[in-house]
Amino acid sequence: MAEPVAHDEHAATHRSHMPVYLGVWVALLVLTVVTYAVAKVHLPGAWAVAVALLIASLKGALVALFFMHLWDQRGANRLVFLTSLVFVALLIGLVIADNATRFPLANPPGTRGALPAEGSVREPPAANVQQRNRP
Amino acid sequence: MKPSPLPSDDVAAYAPRNYLNAPATGLMSWLNTRDHKRIGVMFLIATTIAFAVGGLFAMLIRLELLTPGPTVMDPMTYNRMFTLHGVVMIFLFMIPVIPSGFGNFLVPLMIGAKDVAFPKLNLLSFYLYLIGAVVALAGMIWGGADTGWTFYTPYSTDTITKVTPILLGAFILGFSSILTGLNFIVTTHTMRAPGMGWMRMPLFVWSIYATSIIQILATPVLGMTLLLVVVDRAFHLGVFDPTWGGDPVLFQHFFWFYSHPAVYIMVLPAMAVISEVVCTFSHKNIFGYKAVAYSSLGIAFVGFFTWGHHLFTSGQSAFDAGIFGILSMFVGIFTAIKVFNWTATLYKGSISFKTPFAYFVGFLFFLVFGGMTGVALATVSLDVHWHDTYFVVAHFHFIMVGAVMMAFLAALHYWFPKITGRTYPEGWGLVAAVMIILGFNFTFIPQFLLGNMGMPRRYYSYSERFQALNVASTAGASVLAIGLTIILVYLLVSLRYGRVAGSNPWLSRGFEWDTPSPPPPENYPVTPVIEHGPHDYDGENITLPPHQHAPEPEPHAS
Amino acid sequence: MQASPLAHHFENLEKQAHAARLGMWLFLATEILLFTVLFAAYALYRFLFPEAFALSSRALETWVGFVNTIVLVTSSLTVATGLHSATRGDGRKTALWFGISVLLAVVFLVLKAYEYNHHFHTGQLPGRFYTYEGVKAPGAPMYFTLYFLITGLHAIHVIVGMTVLVVIGALARKGRYTAAYHVPVELGALYWHLVDLIWIFVFPLIYLI
Repeated sequence: MAEPVAHDEHAATHRSHMPVYLGVWVALLVLTVVTYAVAKVHLPGAWAVAVALLIASLKGALVALFFMHLWDQRGANRLVFLTSLVFVALLIGLVIADNATRFPLANPPGTRGALPAEGSVREPPAANVQQRNRP
Repeated sequence: MKPSPLPSDDVAAYAPRNYLNAPATGLMSWLNTRDHKRIGVMFLIATTIAFAVGGLFAMLIRLELLTPGPTVMDPMTYNRMFTLHGVVMIFLFMIPVIPSGFGNFLVPLMIGAKDVAFPKLNLLSFYLYLIGAVVALAGMIWGGADTGWTFYTPYSTDTITKVTPILLGAFILGFSSILTGLNFIVTTHTMRAPGMGWMRMPLFVWSIYATSIIQILATPVLGMTLLLVVVDRAFHLGVFDPTWGGDPVLFQHFFWFYSHPAVYIMVLPAMAVISEVVCTFSHKNIFGYKAVAYSSLGIAFVGFFTWGHHLFTSGQSAFDAGIFGILSMFVGIFTAIKVFNWTATLYKGSISFKTPFAYFVGFLFFLVFGGMTGVALATVSLDVHWHDTYFVVAHFHFIMVGAVMMAFLAALHYWFPKITGRTYPEGWGLVAAVMIILGFNFTFIPQFLLGNMGMPRRYYSYSERFQALNVASTAGASVLAIGLTIILVYLLVSLRYGRVAGSNPWLSRGFEWDTPSPPPPENYPVTPVIEHGPHDYDGENITLPPHQHAPEPEPHAS
Repeated sequence: MQASPLAHHFENLEKQAHAARLGMWLFLATEILLFTVLFAAYALYRFLFPEAFALSSRALETWVGFVNTIVLVTSSLTVATGLHSATRGDGRKTALWFGISVLLAVVFLVLKAYEYNHHFHTGQLPGRFYTYEGVKAPGAPMYFTLYFLITGLHAIHVIVGMTVLVVIGALARKGRYTAAYHVPVELGALYWHLVDLIWIFVFPLIYLI
């Protein structure tokens, strides 16, 4: 026997979703305006990122839970979604942890502590370009 | 123990309506089938051909390495050979063979379903495999690549060899793999027969399920990364190019985020096969069912946290290297759980030493040996010495060829009667098994020694002092190749002339043996109700379905 | 139209719908991981070149991103409304709402094209094609490489999503789906919401920080 098919998934279709949809839509619009306004204030670096990502996560959660019905659907579907997010965090986290703790000269040129970028950013040595354009 | 004799050469008399002859027998009925069994068989044929091609490349490489200087090919050809050997063996053989081949055939049978959840997607997965194979093969014929199967940047974005079609081929093969994984997860969740709770699922299904999770989560990352390399080759945008601020090591992070878990895409299905084989041939329940089942999920999960151990010498930070080194060793814990449980299953079992069991013994040895050297390699300080030497080559061949090939061959022999309805010659099977296990050891143990002496991998020539061991390795590879050829010959002969197997030649209690061999197109005439766990040999609650009672049905009067 | 949407190997429609939903969610997970590669590259290079990324981001026309966010969020609402009609068995209304959503998607793409065109004129282009005078810091070409890769991949998903909506909308109009069985409508809507979901993260990353 498969795990119990969530019966509330089916029951949910009998309840009207429209008020929820409209509420979520209004919330999304408000949050979009808020994040836009906050960005115009130019908070100091880390804060701007934190606030913007927090608002984006809030909006994403609203879409996933209500538009995509994860709120009504229990079990496997939620697990799949959450698991994928864990692996998103894993990849991004450990990749940045690497470059953040690296011997600075091992980072790409032009970054803090590494070699300066070669010449002008727009025009690297001509020989280099030619070499890369080899057929 | 022996099943009573059956009609000597007529499968149709035993199983008149089976998936091979129903609903139709024409070529089109195969190419357009939705039957998971036929798709599984097509995958098996395609992957076996890929195995032969990859093996041919391997033999040519070993032949070239017979002498320190040029032997049979020029350096560029050699570079192409080892690239193609890696690409073919990994993407075309090892990743699909057990999940898409045996998994497709067996998972629905084992859970009492009529088919997988999405039969059309299943067929699409097969065609994507074919298209991917053809695209990659076109690249090989057109000139091949010399990057190694890892396609490391910046070389892969700059080399003039034909990397792009091979990258695109691997990208398409990735989608084939994703669709198969998706299908198995949904099938396992929704198609189990009444009475089969999660804790009554065969361990084969558990392992395939864990494999599918990796396929779903990791393969898209590889696909996107390979596409980035293709874009970089076409436009030179420099995503991984330091000239434009790119970090080549980022490619390695992305690549191994897929490719390390991909090792478990190959090994977990091998463990799946072994869990079935060990029960059947020791006629005993698995020791510690839950531990074996959950350790599959554990390996799938922890497998994602270890990719950085491929980057120890690539400029990765010491901090990340430390984390990845420690996390890599955790895989050893879950693998050890399985190894101990399989070994404990043998205890007081009534063992029948048939060919699949011989491969089980080989598997256990290779897995432990390969796994232990793996733990050693996960130690950062040791890896600095061994990295990019033949030690690593020998290590991963012990796991990926040793363990996975053993499991593939065990599966091939174990389920040959189920798939074809006929048996293979047991004597020849054991002879080939001994040759393969010995040949394998002679091929790769010298490579451990060579690596420890400092012979670098991927090189065309080597210093004189390495020659003796290289000759030993090539000799071992030849024995291995002869063993595999013997198998190919007797299996092909058995297809036509093998003794009819009957439904359950091994007297196994695995659910898949509850159907006639070969199974009818709809698997089970009535959906079975599962009343006990898999391989329930304890006798308390045995309720054999009527047709499984030994002796087998009497031969029809001819 | 087939007599019954129930496939031979399923016991009942409910189980089949459950399987289809789970399959779709797994597919969406692969889509998320597909985008993750680009997001991870973005995160790393933003970490390595914070100034160049901040300056380049400010050189974009933020209002386009803002309007596009509003457009996509609204299209998600119209798709959800279309699904709501489908649960009531009203295929014609489903088609109507899906049609409106496709129009909104066209607005999105037109604005995106306007923006791309602008970048081509100012030289805000990826990697070695970068000729923009406004921002010269190292890392700026990388910002635009990732900008085009991320928004480009997203635009491809918008186009695929539009196709899905058109096909399912047309089938709904023909009366293929009923109040009891409308799983394809649900799956199409899910895909569209994912396209929206990804944009919700692209917007702040590209335009705001």
